[in-house]
Amino acid sequence: MKILSVIAAIVIMTFCFSFNLQQKKGYTDLYNQSVNEFDGDLKSLLLSIKQTDLTDTSAVSLLRKQIGVSRLKLKGLDFWFRYFEPVAYRRINGPLPVEWENEVFEKFEPPYRREGGGLTLIEQALDEKTVTRESLEALLLPSIDAIRTFRADSITVNLASHNHFFLANRLFLLNLAALYTTGFECPDTNNIIPELRSMMIDVNQTYQTFDASFNATPLTKEYHEMFRKTISFVNAQPTEFSLFDHFLFVKDYVNPLFRMNQELINKYSVVTKNYNDYSLNNDCMSIFDKSLYAPQNTKGIYSLIEDEEMLSEVKRMGKLLFYDPILSANNRRSCASCHKPTEYFTDTTQATAFQFDHQQRLSRNTPSLINVVYNHLIMLDGKHISLQDQAKDVMHNTAEMNNSEKELLEKVLSCKEYKNAFKKFLKHTPEEKKVSLSHVVSAITFYYADFSQYTAPFDNAMNNKETISAEVKKGFNLFMSKAQCGTCHFLPVFNGVKPPYIGSEFEVLGVPEDTGFHKLSPDKGRYLINPAGETMNAFRTGTIRNASFTKPYMHNGIFQTLEEVVDLYDAGGGVGRRLAIGNQTLASDSLKLTKSEKASLIAFMRSLNENIIFDTPPTGLPASGNKSLNSRRIGGEY
Amino acid sequence: MKYLLTISLLVATYALWQCTPQKSSAYDIPDHVPPENKALFIERAEKGKALYKIHCGGCHGIFTKGKDGVPNFTSIQIDNYHATALIGLDPKNHAVAKKMSSEQIDYVITFLRIRKVK
Repeated sequence: MKILSVIAAIVIMTFCFSFNLQQKKGYTDLYNQSVNEFDGDLKSLLLSIKQTDLTDTSAVSLLRKQIGVSRLKLKGLDFWFRYFEPVAYRRINGPLPVEWENEVFEKFEPPYRREGGGLTLIEQALDEKTVTRESLEALLLPSIDAIRTFRADSITVNLASHNHFFLANRLFLLNLAALYTTGFECPDTNNIIPELRSMMIDVNQTYQTFDASFNATPLTKEYHEMFRKTISFVNAQPTEFSLFDHFLFVKDYVNPLFRMNQELINKYSVVTKNYNDYSLNNDCMSIFDKSLYAPQNTKGIYSLIEDEEMLSEVKRMGKLLFYDPILSANNRRSCASCHKPTEYFTDTTQATAFQFDHQQRLSRNTPSLINVVYNHLIMLDGKHISLQDQAKDVMHNTAEMNNSEKELLEKVLSCKEYKNAFKKFLKHTPEEKKVSLSHVVSAITFYYADFSQYTAPFDNAMNNKETISAEVKKGFNLFMSKAQCGTCHFLPVFNGVKPPYIGSEFEVLGVPEDTGFHKLSPDKGRYLINPAGETMNAFRTGTIRNASFTKPYMHNGIFQTLEEVVDLYDAGGGVGRRLAIGNQTLASDSLKLTKSEKASLIAFMRSLNENIIFDTPPTGLPASGNKSLNSRRIGGEY
Repeated sequence: MKYLLTISLLVATYALWQCTPQKSSAYDIPDHVPPENKALFIERAEKGKALYKIHCGGCHGIFTKGKDGVPNFTSIQIDNYHATALIGLDPKNHAVAKKMSSEQIDYVITFLRIRKVK
């Protein structure tokens, strides 16, 4: 009897265990089956390309249809592919043939050349006169090859635990808000919403299968309910993407889903093994919260100090130094001379600032320091990887402050107030034996970073804390669709950092040297740092937050008004204005925006003006033992 | 007798000289590092050492006994640790490392990588 019951117990346990395995298999099976189907699709597409006469328009339109079918299949896999291996994904559905990247965890390394291929590029190539079967094949073969990556054990092993699911879902939701409705990788704008609808159904199936396979860590009822509502919303919306209500979609559907998913990440103690999660913050409950992704390190050498009192003393020193012209060789120029705290930490009166000699001009417009912390690479050419490096560079640069480290420190430490403070901080920075330039610049970055913490009426509206006008909503919807702004200025910061917020993007717009568009601006931009064909005249995409207060615009400060800026994009950039640029990344066709559409776009930009609380300049600067230094002016002069 | 004293004095001096810390011999700098960069490596390692003593050594050992269950860095452990630390997965969940700046992490890792392990 006893033996029998033991046997029965074993049988039951085995059954339960195999049942459990069987269940987990359901989820893995769905993945494998989808990958196989997609692989088959790509292979038959290759065959069709080989057989299609590209001069025959009806044959080409059949080919397009086939690409469309493969795209829909891919949309179902997007959920996993983008999260598991974004570099391989780019060979299946890359937006550009070549992209140079420095992601936040590889900032110390030279930029990587990432090759694109696949469906989007093939579709675009079909529109070109020079298209050949060979060129199409060359774009498709990397995709077929990339499928192998997604079948590798190192990837599929993730499917056995719940961890990847909630993190992949987070990326999916962020892409849903920022990319999928904008046509980011969808050349035919008529397909954007139909593809979105199909994708929502596929993801719903992924959800259901996951819940059945991982019954200990399911999505909540509340989540499923909200997702169902989202599907209904998307189905009920117009198919034309410029009539789609992007505002409501993000506010009432995607953002609540994001919050619920974040709660589940915490509830199920989800752990990451994927670098896509590098900068995302598990505790952030809204896409429109500034804690969404980790900003630049603003504390620098003071990173390990936690004592609030000491930190506020560091900040106080940072403020004094920010306004102190002692940092420049002639004791006349301070940070505040160009980054005027009264003008959003930029200079709205100069296209580009004077050099140190006060004769020549610098080549670029002074950027606002507000929200710079949300860039992974600093400067318009991405020259620096940290805020502290950038600040050091300005101090050394002969065209800017023209100072040596030794002289600068001598002068700073000749002031008793600075000297005492830094001596105190030195005890908490064991890596340095003496007060160093790092102590000076880290205090400065810690001070000005404070002004990036504020939100704008648009953020408040997204978080249901404020209502905004219909005009602003219309502007946002245009921004995300017809005006094609959202494909480079990604929400929520509306800069060049796209989900999962680990890299900064550079674009070639064809900004002219003169407002008559006679000549392209000679500034080589990113090329100066990373010489490559694609990087010539490319600049890091800036934020549009506070834009209406930070004129003049573009890297060379050529435009005085937002209207002029919108006109540049509307015309199709430099190429649209007949400048010869081989590598412009902005579409060169006119956007055909009407006057009232342009006005709405600008109204939306204004809704991103943040409610910043500025502070007042210090009432005095520390006195130096060297009397000749004591006549220096607060904030310097220009 | 006098002879013996001189010898023992010499021996003692030599022994004392051996005991004084010598920066150049405290680190194994990889061969591929160009000579002009060796000083930079040592400078960074020294910064890392100072940070390590205060912020890491209490648990991870080297200068103290360390704590049970926390890796005492051997060279193999540091190779594994380096990879994860640099891509940022581990420091995110590490009470101290997550607060450090990238430079500070770099200093500590440099120290751990090139210090001579007996």
